[in-house]
Amino acid sequence: MQGNKKKIIRKEIYIVAAFFVIVFGAMIGYFVMYVNKGSKDFIYNAYNSRFSVFSEDVKRGSIYTSDGTVIAETKTDEEGNEIRVYPDDRLFCHAVGYVNKGMAGLEAQYTFDLLKSNIELSDQIDNNLAGVKNPGDNLYTTFDYNTQLAAFDGLGMYDGAVIAIEPDTGKIIAMVSKPDYDPNTIAEYWDDITDSTNNKSSLVNRAIQGTYPPGSTFKIVTTIAYLRANDGDSEFNYKCSGSINVDDYKIHCSGNKSHGTEDLLKAFSNSCNSAYAYIGINLDRQEFVDTAEELLFNETLPTMLESTKKSSFKIDSSTSDTIVAQTAIGQGDTTVSPLHMCMLVSAIANDGVLMEPYMADKIVSTDGTEVSKTEPVEYGQLISSEEAELLQSYMAAVVEEGTAEKVDFGDLTVYGKTGTAEYSENKSVTHSWFVGYAVGDNGKKLAVAVIMESAGYGSKYAAPLASKVFEAYFE
Amino acid sequence: MLNVITSFSRITILVFIVVFAVIDLFQMFEYKLNEVVASVLATIQAVMLVLFLVNASIVLYMAKEDATVWFLFAGLIIFYIVFSIIINVFTNEEHFISKGLINNCFLFVAMGIVTLERLKISLAVKQFMSLIFALVIAVAVVILVKKIVMIERFVFYFAIIGILLLSLVAFMGQVENGAKLSLAIGSLRFQPSEFVKITFVLFISACIANYKDFRGLLIATLGTAIHVLLLVLSRDLGMALIFAVCYVFVVFIAYKNYIVLSVELGAAFIGGILAYNLFPHIQTRFLAWSDPLSVIDDKGYQISQSLFAIGTGGWLGSGLNKGMPNKIPVVTNDFIFAAISEEMGALVGVCLILCFCATVIMLFNMAFKCTNSYYMLVDCGTAIIFAVQAILNIGGVTKFIPSTGVTLPFISYGSNSLVSLTVSLMIVLTSNELYRERVHHRGRHAR
Repeated sequence: MQGNKKKIIRKEIYIVAAFFVIVFGAMIGYFVMYVNKGSKDFIYNAYNSRFSVFSEDVKRGSIYTSDGTVIAETKTDEEGNEIRVYPDDRLFCHAVGYVNKGMAGLEAQYTFDLLKSNIELSDQIDNNLAGVKNPGDNLYTTFDYNTQLAAFDGLGMYDGAVIAIEPDTGKIIAMVSKPDYDPNTIAEYWDDITDSTNNKSSLVNRAIQGTYPPGSTFKIVTTIAYLRANDGDSEFNYKCSGSINVDDYKIHCSGNKSHGTEDLLKAFSNSCNSAYAYIGINLDRQEFVDTAEELLFNETLPTMLESTKKSSFKIDSSTSDTIVAQTAIGQGDTTVSPLHMCMLVSAIANDGVLMEPYMADKIVSTDGTEVSKTEPVEYGQLISSEEAELLQSYMAAVVEEGTAEKVDFGDLTVYGKTGTAEYSENKSVTHSWFVGYAVGDNGKKLAVAVIMESAGYGSKYAAPLASKVFEAYFE
Repeated sequence: MLNVITSFSRITILVFIVVFAVIDLFQMFEYKLNEVVASVLATIQAVMLVLFLVNASIVLYMAKEDATVWFLFAGLIIFYIVFSIIINVFTNEEHFISKGLINNCFLFVAMGIVTLERLKISLAVKQFMSLIFALVIAVAVVILVKKIVMIERFVFYFAIIGILLLSLVAFMGQVENGAKLSLAIGSLRFQPSEFVKITFVLFISACIANYKDFRGLLIATLGTAIHVLLLVLSRDLGMALIFAVCYVFVVFIAYKNYIVLSVELGAAFIGGILAYNLFPHIQTRFLAWSDPLSVIDDKGYQISQSLFAIGTGGWLGSGLNKGMPNKIPVVTNDFIFAAISEEMGALVGVCLILCFCATVIMLFNMAFKCTNSYYMLVDCGTAIIFAVQAILNIGGVTKFIPSTGVTLPFISYGSNSLVSLTVSLMIVLTSNELYRERVHHRGRHAR
């Protein structure tokens, strides 16, 4: 038609159009990434009430231990009401969580999977047509029933936590925290459980959220810092007279015992406070901080678990020598979670390689099809294999000739470190720590961290409990 | 039975939308297609649209047992046919590029009405009424513009209308969610900024086309500054951003001047930082964006609910009527994309974003086709506004960028934006004819 009119070609239009195409493209990329991965951080939030819709069509799946024991299941009563039942009451309460009053634990983290049904499509259609709910997929955890039971019974009336990890995979074998609660009756006793005046905080999973002073178990960290300051050389000599003066402050060895002349192995196995205070004040502070942070202090722990707490390690150039000395022996302002200590030990047991801890092993539909399986994730070399080897020998010495010498570990080869942590002005009440690992006949290993609040010496309370956990696992 | 159909429809609806979006990708490069192929593709798109509507209507009818669904279905099909005929009458020739554009906009409208039917059926009916009203207004505007000779002479009228309307809102508007957006006339809510979008584009294009030198740039800059300031005063930040971006790019296209572009971008950057530091409500928007869960009880509630919806729906969605989109505050307006993604699936969401992108390209293609520099700028301005609005909305809903409270073109509920968009679309579709008409007039005068 209007043939004489030429088109107005402007390359600037191309540029502007290309700009918008790029922004749209970036937005699609972001959206895809969110739906694919990022949404996991959101959809399990307690504010997301959408799961109630799923449960209209799907009966929530069960949760099992690795050996096939049911630890959570949904039952239907005569009137057709669904009830979530936890056959072992309190045994798995913090790990598995609850659904009756909001959601927590694995119930919260995997609610999506438990409320999805991956049975044959034809069966799903049959169920739909018959008006029957589809059975949700089942979750198999990494827990070992007997080990969990040993940890739970062993902790007994004490407050505290026990956590056990398989070092070469990161599987969590047992996880107990006390005080606890009964998930079957949580709705009835909710006000009591959440009553802040009794200071129990039973809902807190101390195994992964506890912030405890590490006590002498922290000497593992100080030892690594010393090795790194001396380029891996473990040459060390110190004459212990039962105490050391740092400025105006006197640090005593346990029971004021004088350990005499020690090398690093002896200082470690005797858990000699004087020697470690001496090491601490001679360390370069920035290097000490760097080592602690490389060992995951002040960092979010690399794990597939949710709502873990960061451990805290804080010294700098303005910190007084007194505080540094106390920090080096695990007092001061340092706090750790039992999970973190257990991860350190499992890296030592695994020749320095840390595997990220997890407790959900696989999702299986009720007709037996494996829907998804968690593959172990390697975090990498947390410490060098040389450092791991050295610490292995030190931890062996603790059990053979050191602070845990008198503990009965049966026939197992055990590597460990005890701890007795002061946590208040009253120095006569202390938390009892034991961290360590055992090797069974078949070469299998298990790392544990035990803390018993206000119990006393680590060797007297926490170490025997660790022994029971090992025994149950390797039996 | 309903469960089976709903579940199965997730797949079929997805297939229809994917086929539609894939054809869009071809149409974006329409100059490489021959006319027969392009016409076949446009027809397939139309079939997909009808299939989508049939499928969604079946599911919604079974779930709601409300015959209104079928009335709306019939109404939408008739609207589509009538709209296509009107465009044919105005343009007298078969533009397959405009067919693609019409198909896309109709997809958005249909998607919006289906989603509204699911959320609250009475709103879907109102939206359909607005649609008819919008068509009437758009036709009236095009006829009016055709009658006016040399529309670009009306530079100052456009500016004055825009500034007056925005001042009215800034000083007399109703406060909603902390922003002044609308004027109340009886029970009706009139949202002037939606219409100022049109006059604003006409204004800056006229400035540039009229003066053709830096005087035009000066007047356009001054006019834009007043518009944007008034919008900031009303706390309508999304709209202020849309106007500013539109101005920057239209000026860039017109003057091809990279120095001006960098000065403007620099000024925008400094303005952004100033605004961030001056206005606490911008800071809370940023906080709600960077970590919505930390303020979930308050400012982060809406975006968190939106992300819950999208995430829980997943790739395939929960199925129509099977999700809980009503949990999201003002889901029918700003957050309708989350409702679509939740129930029809994130894959449909991705296709929709692709369709928005394709629509923007088609609008730019219309600008390319323009034989007159004034309408070329108008088309570009419309394309830019459309693009920015879609990006701000979807970006805000998906946490790509902080939420700015703008609506999703053609999909969100609301008569004001529907009328404004239909008028803009109609102007773009007929812009070549509008100019031709004028050539004809001029010829007559010369005689």
